[in-house]
Amino acid sequence: MSQSASTSYAGPRPGENTWLWLIKIVTGPLLLIVLGLHLTVNHYMGSTATGLMTHDDVIQYFQNPIIPAIEILFLVTVVTHSLLGLRGILLDMNPSRSVLKIVTWLLVILGVSSVTYGTWLALTIASLGT
Amino acid sequence: MPIRRDIGSWAFALNRLTAIGLTIYLFLHLIVLGRLAQGPGAYDQFLALTENPLIKLGEWAVVAAAILHGLNGIRIILTSFGVGVTRQKQLFYGFMLVALFIILVFTAKMY
Repeated sequence: MSQSASTSYAGPRPGENTWLWLIKIVTGPLLLIVLGLHLTVNHYMGSTATGLMTHDDVIQYFQNPIIPAIEILFLVTVVTHSLLGLRGILLDMNPSRSVLKIVTWLLVILGVSSVTYGTWLALTIASLGT
Repeated sequence: MPIRRDIGSWAFALNRLTAIGLTIYLFLHLIVLGRLAQGPGAYDQFLALTENPLIKLGEWAVVAAAILHGLNGIRIILTSFGVGVTRQKQLFYGFMLVALFIILVFTAKMY
């Protein structure tokens, strides 16, 4: 393997907080499990052979309280992993400290907004069946 | 970005490209799911689009990217913690073979 690729994979990049790097590493395998669950359920359950393919199917599926909980866990995990990954890619471009600070705040705002919106959506879908 | 185009550079590029593609998809997916809150008409009408061959190809690409990114990611985690550092090439080929197999099974099921 090339030196550039090997060193990029060895651990946190310069400027990357070790805890943030560790969160990205831990959420990766967790995502594989939750994503597998998400895809299996969405494509193999429901009234049709191809899964949850109607509005009614989704609403009914969300009536089990464990489902919105799993979907929200999935949402938090995937948003965290993807935005930390995006920050890692940007770090490879060696941004200045001030640019990195702005980028970090923008990513935090995007992450918090996405999780808030997704949580609202999951709870709204669940409430439609009551 | 890698300059030398050896297998490590391709592994690095594959991880980056799939990451960017999946991130874009994630936010589009979240936006589109908002139609669930708008009622059956809005959601079911949108889902009818999934029969379009181009949309289907896009869905296939998302799942293939997730499989490639996930398995490449496991290799990165292993080497980050000192496992298989001297056998990164073999690890990469091994994981990509598994990815290819899963993608083929998925393709057969989808089409």
